[in-house]
Amino acid sequence: MSQSSLKNRSPFQPLDWAEVVEMWESRFGIPLSIFEGASFYRKGRNVWIFSLPEIPDLRCESVGLRFMSVRGRVWKPTTYALQLFGHVATKNAVDLGPDQAEKFIAGERQSLEAELEDGYVVVSYQGEVLGCGLYSRGELVSQLPKERRIMKEGIENCLSSGGS
Amino acid sequence: MDGLERYRDIVPEFGSFLEAMSRSLPVTARINTLKTDRDRLIFRLTAAKVPCRPFSWYDLGLKLELEKPGNLIENLMGHIHVQEEISMVSPIVLDPKPEERVLDMCAAPGSKTTQIASMMENRGLLVANDPANTRVASLRSNCERAGAINVVVTRYDGRRFPSQKFDRVLVDAPCTGQGMARKDLSVLGRWSLKRSLGLQRLQRPLLKRAMELAKPGGTVVYSTCTFAPEENEAVVSWALDQVRRVRLEKVLVKGLESCPGLVEWNGSLFGDEMEKCARYYPHQNDTGGFFVAKLIKE
Ligand SMILES: C[S@@+](CC[C@H](N)C(=O)[O-])C[C@H]1O[C@@H](n2cnc3c(N)ncnc32)[C@H](O)[C@@H]1O
Repeated sequence: MSQSSLKNRSPFQPLDWAEVVEMWESRFGIPLSIFEGASFYRKGRNVWIFSLPEIPDLRCESVGLRFMSVRGRVWKPTTYALQLFGHVATKNAVDLGPDQAEKFIAGERQSLEAELEDGYVVVSYQGEVLGCGLYSRGELVSQLPKERRIMKEGIENCLSSGGS
Repeated sequence: MDGLERYRDIVPEFGSFLEAMSRSLPVTARINTLKTDRDRLIFRLTAAKVPCRPFSWYDLGLKLELEKPGNLIENLMGHIHVQEEISMVSPIVLDPKPEERVLDMCAAPGSKTTQIASMMENRGLLVANDPANTRVASLRSNCERAGAINVVVTRYDGRRFPSQKFDRVLVDAPCTGQGMARKDLSVLGRWSLKRSLGLQRLQRPLLKRAMELAKPGGTVVYSTCTFAPEENEAVVSWALDQVRRVRLEKVLVKGLESCPGLVEWNGSLFGDEMEKCARYYPHQNDTGGFFVAKLIKE
């Protein structure tokens, strides 16, 4: 197979940079400049962020990091992307207290009074991003991937105040 | 301690070696600078009363007095990666730079891939290759947790990796893993000369292909976690004979004790330059066992 045909047949389809980053800017107030130099690709429902303007001529299983997923008009940021870029969010971001963080990490839902619009939000604890949450009608539902959750008994350093 | 007796004449202080091999490994982790920095992380762990101590030789390595480091939220957030101390050596010897093109030929589950990605500051291109379907899942998951955006994952047989040029290639080869006995004692019982020689048949063409893929001036690092010379010096010296204009460079990591590579073994001559390779024995630094060679393409 020639090099160019490999690229044309890549399942990763390039996306318009501005279109993607503007979604993040309008939802989270994340400055566009943080994504400078990166490129975005779509495969199925997933959108990926990659460090270089072009993907290499190889049969790739993945390109960079899963950035968000898209279903119709609804898009959802991944926990991993928020852990990397969420610290500069200026809206739809919430910092939890120790008990709330513990619930969030365990994958639970909880009621929460906060200045958030309904939808996906950046959830952090002591200034460090834990991941993605879904906020609606006063309730915060943890969106942490199952394999990243830690059940309460298991948490080793959760919460520095208590610590276990 | 099956299969170790054959090393009596090459390992200094053989008694201490056997004794170290029978102890379990310390719990260690690496600080992921893509997501945090050293001071911030150590401050957090200290505040949470998690006993931790930085390595003397590598300021991003930490010893943790903790049974399940996987349950730290710092692990969930990808601020640390639980990784054996001595395995942090290969990326350090590889010495990747931001903006370079780097290939990690046998990458899964990605401990070294994520270390390389952070040394490259998430820039340039890092190809993480591994043909093993099941292991690629953990490779991808480790890269995502680390926040690596410069990694593409491929699943080629390294021996037939497509022709492309790289500044640096790491071959962290499949091996008999004797050096990991402190983590899993059963590796010793599974060792046999036949297995070492079988793996050699895979390791040699992997290293040869890596040398072909390196640009002029490029670096290739070959590492294993086994003591068997059949999988170490016998692979490196063979590959040096196959590919022209490649030379060995001395492996030296400050602060770590090591032994030089073997010039000969059981009647096979590997050549004096093999002394430039490094053998790390468990009793020298209280780690697992490891072998590293660094090759430069002219
Ligand atoms: C020692 S492990 C690599 C560990 C990894 N570098 C890390 O630090 O996490 C060796 C790997 O080589 C892979 N492997 C086996 N045969 C291979 C081949 N023909 N080409 C490339 N990789 C291969 C195995 O699937 C295995 O994951």
